[in-house]
Amino acid sequence: MEEPDRDAGTLIAMHAIDPVDLEVVKASLSGIVQEMQNSLFRTGFSTIVRESQDASCALMNARGEVVAQHVVLPLHIGAFPACTAAVIDAFGGGIARGDAFVINHPYQGGSPHAPDIAVITPFFVDAALFGFCGSIAHKSDIGGPVPGSCSGQAREIFNEGLHLPAVRYEMDYRRKGDIERLIGANSRTPELVLGDIRGQLGADRLGERRLDELVGKFGKQEILGCFDRLLEISEAKVKQAIAEWKDGRFEAERFVDDDGIELERPVRIQVVIEKRGDALHFDFSGSADQTKGPANIRPPLVQAACAYALISLIDPSMYVSSGLLRGFTMTAREGSVLNPRFPAPVNTYNPTIHALVDAIFAAVSHIVPGKARADGSGSRSIILGGRNTYTGKGYVQYEIIAGGAGARPGKDGASGITVNQSNAKIAPIEIIESEFPTRITRFELIADSGGAGEFRGGLGIRREYLNLADARFSIRSMKHSIPPNGCAGGKTGRAGDIWINPERAAARRLPTRYADYPLRAGDTFRLDTPGGGGYGDPLAREAEHVLADVCEGVLSKEAAEHDYGVILRPAGRAWAIDAAATQARRAQLKAEKAKSAPR
Amino acid sequence: MARYRVTVDTGGTFSDFVALNEETGKLSIAKLPSTPDDPSRAIIAGIEELIATAGESTEIGYFCHGTTVGTNALLEGKGAKTGLLVTEGFRGIYPVGEQARPYGAAIFDVMYDKPAPLIPQSLTGEVKERVDFRGNVVQALDEAALRKTVRLLAAENVGSVAVCLLFSFLHPAHDARVREIVREEIPECDVSLSCEVLPQIREYYRLSTTVINAYLQPILSHYIAELDRRLERVGVATRQKYIMQSNGGMATFAAAARRAVTTVLSGPAGGVTAGVLAGRMIGLANIITFDMGGTSCDVALVKDGGPLLSSRGQIAGRDLALPMLDINTVSAGGGTIATVDRFGMLQVGPASAGAVPGPACYGRGGEMPTITDCNLVLGYLGEDGFLGGRMHLQASKARAAIMSKVARPLGLDLIDAAEGIVRIIDVKMQEAIKAISTMRGHDLRDFMLFAFGGAGPLHAGRICDELGMAGVIVPLYPGVFSAIGLLMSDVKHGYIRSKLAPLTEVAPEEVNHIFDQMTAQALAELRGDGFAPDRIRVERGLDMRYAGQGYEVAVPCPAEPLRPSDLKELRMGFDQRHLSAFGHMAPEEPVEIVSYRVRGLGLLPSIEMPKFSPTGAALADARRGSRRVRFDGAELDCPIYQRDQIDVGANFAGPAILEQLDCTTVVRPGQNARVDEWKNLIVTQER
Repeated sequence: MEEPDRDAGTLIAMHAIDPVDLEVVKASLSGIVQEMQNSLFRTGFSTIVRESQDASCALMNARGEVVAQHVVLPLHIGAFPACTAAVIDAFGGGIARGDAFVINHPYQGGSPHAPDIAVITPFFVDAALFGFCGSIAHKSDIGGPVPGSCSGQAREIFNEGLHLPAVRYEMDYRRKGDIERLIGANSRTPELVLGDIRGQLGADRLGERRLDELVGKFGKQEILGCFDRLLEISEAKVKQAIAEWKDGRFEAERFVDDDGIELERPVRIQVVIEKRGDALHFDFSGSADQTKGPANIRPPLVQAACAYALISLIDPSMYVSSGLLRGFTMTAREGSVLNPRFPAPVNTYNPTIHALVDAIFAAVSHIVPGKARADGSGSRSIILGGRNTYTGKGYVQYEIIAGGAGARPGKDGASGITVNQSNAKIAPIEIIESEFPTRITRFELIADSGGAGEFRGGLGIRREYLNLADARFSIRSMKHSIPPNGCAGGKTGRAGDIWINPERAAARRLPTRYADYPLRAGDTFRLDTPGGGGYGDPLAREAEHVLADVCEGVLSKEAAEHDYGVILRPAGRAWAIDAAATQARRAQLKAEKAKSAPR
Repeated sequence: MARYRVTVDTGGTFSDFVALNEETGKLSIAKLPSTPDDPSRAIIAGIEELIATAGESTEIGYFCHGTTVGTNALLEGKGAKTGLLVTEGFRGIYPVGEQARPYGAAIFDVMYDKPAPLIPQSLTGEVKERVDFRGNVVQALDEAALRKTVRLLAAENVGSVAVCLLFSFLHPAHDARVREIVREEIPECDVSLSCEVLPQIREYYRLSTTVINAYLQPILSHYIAELDRRLERVGVATRQKYIMQSNGGMATFAAAARRAVTTVLSGPAGGVTAGVLAGRMIGLANIITFDMGGTSCDVALVKDGGPLLSSRGQIAGRDLALPMLDINTVSAGGGTIATVDRFGMLQVGPASAGAVPGPACYGRGGEMPTITDCNLVLGYLGEDGFLGGRMHLQASKARAAIMSKVARPLGLDLIDAAEGIVRIIDVKMQEAIKAISTMRGHDLRDFMLFAFGGAGPLHAGRICDELGMAGVIVPLYPGVFSAIGLLMSDVKHGYIRSKLAPLTEVAPEEVNHIFDQMTAQALAELRGDGFAPDRIRVERGLDMRYAGQGYEVAVPCPAEPLRPSDLKELRMGFDQRHLSAFGHMAPEEPVEIVSYRVRGLGLLPSIEMPKFSPTGAALADARRGSRRVRFDGAELDCPIYQRDQIDVGANFAGPAILEQLDCTTVVRPGQNARVDEWKNLIVTQER
């Protein structure tokens, strides 16, 4: 349709984007990334992409800044710009229409670890580079010493699989077979990996076609103007919120249990925030030196963790773009666990990110009214490898199990739920038992595992297994030695734990990260996941709520008395509060606390 | 004596009635205010009115009802006090659910909580028993311990009990024995068994679905019994009394009372069903139904004459896994509110002004500008044409709201602001349509947009144009279209049974045996519903997957017993369906059967929608005047027609506005409208 006014209007578009156009373009961009995402989930080959949906899609401007992202994995907000920047660095003016690039290098790009391969395609309007479409998806295996490429005992990234710097995967819309052959030769599951990469490419190309339609409709200048405006608004939103917080300097620290190699040595994650006016700076220099094992993470992930926490604190439903990243600054000391020197290993990044997010929350919540929360359980996976019940073929039983969330001002923590940036589903028991030689014998929430507080932490999960055939067992967990912190006077949650053959003579406790324990048929194991920390003084918790927790089996009668000073007496089949005894007990506990408090 | 089919679709604000005189084919419609405290009051009032106005002795030979009684009880937490019995050691299944948070804001929202369980842990009992994945008993049922547990629930006065034991779909005997014991100990108590509600693998979905059924069953069965009693009192004696289900089929009163959970997502089902049948009537196999009301917009895709089903759904964050029409809902309706935030971003929705206070132009105290206010300012709605003139809209209030909340803060003209707000809501609805069509590989050029609901025909023209669709159909009675769907559905009962096994290790006899058992169950239930053998159809299907995948693809099976060669064809059929649904297949990978499905259909005598002959009336006779209407930045003089006065065969170019009792249709410049013999309005884009 002819729109004669449009071109005249674009002359001033850079300064005055039509607010209606902006909202329409924004809704369309959201639709495009959603469509790319659906296409990827639909056509991706591996169960990782389709079931766990460990993949995300984004649109970038010509500078590699994310202008639209479908939020499945919050951490990729940092990875997309870093991967695109690497493509621009490597190919610069040589980038042409019909190119496609792949990259998975944590140091020469922004991949969290080698299995996360990014596919980036340039988008041209007329003869000029206009932007990029991108997708990142976790691959089932990209080589290295262990299946899945994530060894808890890796000592350098050369133990973590094949690393691709930015390389050209397609030219003039035609695949260059050499990159595929190279990747295929380095993976234990080449069909799955190549199938997924092609699925990603399809999603990117779809994004290009939809962008082309959008530019055709609104004109190049108008869309560029909208891109800039969306970035500006994200930045302004962050800065505006920051400006309303009180000025000051605050710090917080958290510890990762260990790095997988030095098992007795917790890894310190520390942040100092400096807030003045609308400026917010995160300084992570006090964090531990880089670790020997794979607890290290690269700065794009650090930046993403900061962005994750800020979105949480400012507005969980805000539009996600790179403009967010302009709303703050950060320092990650070179040679530290948050900015390791090449070639330090980086594959098991989750424990470090959880500690980082928890530390940022703890520091920032000093200045954000009403948004503090206690820490949650983090995340963990168990892996059993052996032979399939039906086919006799090798199998990998991979389960991700959540725990308790931290308590919040005014609300108890949620039980048995994913926390922070982690969000995988739990596998159904009936499916696991049908496919793998194992029987689950217990699945319940753990009473008394939620940290005590005026608002109680969420409960952790207990899973018990009876192994029906020999298998190799690995675990990548966290918060087993160091429990989730409480907040504002709340107590820590219960730490996690992993026991082989509990309550038997041969009982054995495993470390938090452990690879390849040989389980025998008839062996049992028990995984307890951490409970969330509590919020506020437990003695301030309404006695009625303590009673309700006891009636619901969330809390034992003993813990009610010990942690909360609430004395219960039997009343019929249930319990009732002994008001006088409770008052006395609470007064006594308060006095004891006042006496022991440092002056 | 006149024989009627009567249907009632109860909504939050209005109850819609449709009566079809089976001899004359005459259709009459009515809208009465709903009576949410006791929905059957409005129903009885409507039927009495209908009988009175018919003016002759009438017989209602068919009654079908779309109800939100179950849905509302769930949304408001007003179900029965319910107990839950699970296998010993597995209390965690229900509270943990899938453990993950929904995508989007919830991942960032520290304050996010899963919906509170419908049954607390204190009313959850454990049953000492265990069955393995082959259906073998590993631990026998301890009846003495169970009796003790049930007595504790009895002492808590539960009115209903849900039972979900591990692998009960392979070994229903334990579930069944639990029911006997519950009945002995608590004689008045309803019992929902997971092996009956949903005998399907994946314990959490089976449990959650069973719990919802148990929670609602006493409420819904009481409501249905009470309605039945009152219907008989006003003379509706037929056995053909039905309730609409989420799968787009009906259930008899008795069956719906037993399976309350099948009704909870039935709200939009009537409209989709009506769209399917109307499409079939006029020879259109591919349509998108577009039902836009006051707060939300439901869109569904119909391909090759059949609506798509999904096997899982959610209501208020609660999971259920029953076959239901695959409907995409977006927060976009006449009451959707526009605001400007402090960064100058214009936002439309998801907040809605609802029925109270409603849009500013209703004059009931609403101050925020809504879509209805914008449609009024743009001239699409007239001040006096709303609800057939029964409700006066106040344009001054609409203008004031848009001016103060959007136009002035953004520095826009009033009318530009109104047009911009409508453009934004239209884009949101377009994206919802893309999500069920182009995002799944369908080409929208092959689809007509079937627009109904109070606001659908106002917006359909532009959306059709923007999406490049084939055209728009507006049925004769768009405001009560869901109730019309209730006139012409069939009875549908779905059955499922999970038995996971590699396809290569399953003998055809085994498959046939399972299907035969399920078929016998379907036949028995439909005979019990009163269907003669020649009115019964049974369909079979298998849910299959590549070994180890987390989802299944439904593959239809022949109704006859399978032979060994058929299994090979099923395998190839599965690969093909996987290819068309997901873009690829893996013919070398092993395939598993996960579940067997049987669908029993009780076919009702079909009805024809009334056809009309041209009366020879001129288009000008239907014209009621004209007004200034804004289209794409330009204000045009636009004729206003009274829809029911436009003759069959009329054919005219836009712009035009068509007004009728409860709906207004906009035909845009560049579009052409014609009226077919059923008085559907067919709008096509001139390209």
